[in-house]
Amino acid sequence: MTYEPPVTDYDYIVENCTCAFCGCNCDDLDYLVKDNHVVAVRHACRLGASKIMEDMDQRLLVPMIRDENGELKEVDWDTALDKAAEYIANSIRPVFYGWSETSTECMKEGVALGEYIGAVLDNQATICHGPSLQAVQNAGYPIQTLGEVQNRADMIVYSGSNAMNSHPRHMARYAVFCRGYFRQRGRFDRTVVTMDPKFSDTAKCSDKWIGFEQNGDYGFYNAIRAVLRGKELYQDVISGIPKEDIYELAEEMKNAEFGVLFFGLGLTHTLSKQRNIDIAIKMVQDLNKYSKWGLTPMRGHFNVNGFNIFMAFECGFAFGVDYCRGYPRYMMGETNTIDLLVRKEPDCFMVIAADPGAHFPNGANQHLANIPVIQIDIHWGPSTELADVVLPGSFIAVECAGTSYRMDGVPIYMKKAIDKPEKKPVVMTNGLSVN
Amino acid sequence: MHYANTYLEKPVVPDVKITGEGTTDVLKCMLNTGSDIYQGACKKRGSTLKEEYKNASGTCYMDPRDMAKLGVNNWDTVLVKTDFGEVVVNCAVSRDAPHEGTVFICKGPWANTIVSHDTYCCSDPTYKGIRCTVEKTDRKVLLMADLMRWVYKKYVDEEDDDVVENMDSLGELPVYHGRKWEELIDHDL
Repeated sequence: MTYEPPVTDYDYIVENCTCAFCGCNCDDLDYLVKDNHVVAVRHACRLGASKIMEDMDQRLLVPMIRDENGELKEVDWDTALDKAAEYIANSIRPVFYGWSETSTECMKEGVALGEYIGAVLDNQATICHGPSLQAVQNAGYPIQTLGEVQNRADMIVYSGSNAMNSHPRHMARYAVFCRGYFRQRGRFDRTVVTMDPKFSDTAKCSDKWIGFEQNGDYGFYNAIRAVLRGKELYQDVISGIPKEDIYELAEEMKNAEFGVLFFGLGLTHTLSKQRNIDIAIKMVQDLNKYSKWGLTPMRGHFNVNGFNIFMAFECGFAFGVDYCRGYPRYMMGETNTIDLLVRKEPDCFMVIAADPGAHFPNGANQHLANIPVIQIDIHWGPSTELADVVLPGSFIAVECAGTSYRMDGVPIYMKKAIDKPEKKPVVMTNGLSVN
Repeated sequence: MHYANTYLEKPVVPDVKITGEGTTDVLKCMLNTGSDIYQGACKKRGSTLKEEYKNASGTCYMDPRDMAKLGVNNWDTVLVKTDFGEVVVNCAVSRDAPHEGTVFICKGPWANTIVSHDTYCCSDPTYKGIRCTVEKTDRKVLLMADLMRWVYKKYVDEEDDDVVENMDSLGELPVYHGRKWEELIDHDL
């Protein structure tokens, strides 16, 4: 990459904005605004800056519906909303999926509609940290805030998570390089361990890399638990790791003053799924016999945690909530989007601030080709290629304000920085103008 | 007007030259999918129709020893097959090598075509640890819109894969009847 000069041509700066990308919700960003458009972002990581300085080529600004030739056509809001309402009203098993990249205020309206219609409400947790949420119900949730990590933690473990790629400021702002009240020297006061079959970018800047074999996570955590409980390991190599290394690591973890385990999708997407997280939570519980330990799931979208907290508060279940009987029901593997789609159950699918086209497996997406899909989003994405009604939204944390929940469950208010891109009014043939 | 630039045509990969014709036609591997920073930056900017997204997301990162077995170089095309489907992607030397026997494709429409939808009643599909085969191919990597049309065929009548694959490309800009953003926004961007 070449050197790029700093951006000096801007009208004004909006300070202390909140990033709407990942679960870190960095709330110290400065937007450089010119002509009501963000031209540069200070303090953000590559991902956050990229999202905020969006690609206007693919920005959705007008409502669209599919015509009889299968092509999207611009229509006015009333027509598009009527069409969407018609699809929803005529369906028996609608699914409202998404919600993670929007504000909690929006979810409030969504759950009201879902309850009225008898829909299934689900969010991206179903394809990322769903097993973690199930494990939390099985085994508990020994969590701490990221502020505690910054000020106290002297041992950081990343497991199945590549923070340098998916949460680039996590290490800098909350966990590893930052200075804290009890960790005045920052990185030098902390030990960083990465557990990942891949020698990831996070592993490259860690003190220790535990490269256990693929799908070996369950066995490896059980081995650490056995050692923590004073048992002897009979095998010489467990999940590709020599037993001496496991003894050494367990000793190191016991002697930490304040340790934190951050785990990502490396644990939830492999074969043992929620059992991996079960055992990781139990390992943290075992470690608490010796020292202070906590854990935090590395949540992906900036408000994926918000939907889970909001739904748990509203109806008692974190995700995959089925209102078809008029009261909330939840059953892992039954009322979750992927399982529903694979069983070809839904007959109407509404996508709100999500992209199933980019993130669902083929086997699930095939059913979206058979049913009407309504998309509410800000950019033209893979889901638009499958959508029958497209409703443009506003960019939360840039064009409108809202509340989101950080990965540790701290609610953060995201302020508005610029106005939504203006639209010229359409002059209809009868002389009336719309939006 | 000068913008800060977040655009990158291709992910940065180790510049390793693989020599030789290769020793095998079909390589058996383990497939992992997930995100990386190039894919994330491109997807979240919204540039999913662009060539950039195709290079960031539709690329199979391989160990250089595996590439030598197949006789492929950076940005050649390979066909990846699993029990759940097949897709043509670019191949490139992994930044996280060595991991012989394992290939990595970033999440996105290309990876979706071949990952397992089995949730084992745990809500979460098995995106990682899928057995796959990798082979050299002459077919080209499809752009996102073309790929979605090829895989799901929601708005084409044709059922034949080969015919849909060779249809006219939908291109790198949204295809719809209506006003584009340049016409909609007053100020000069």
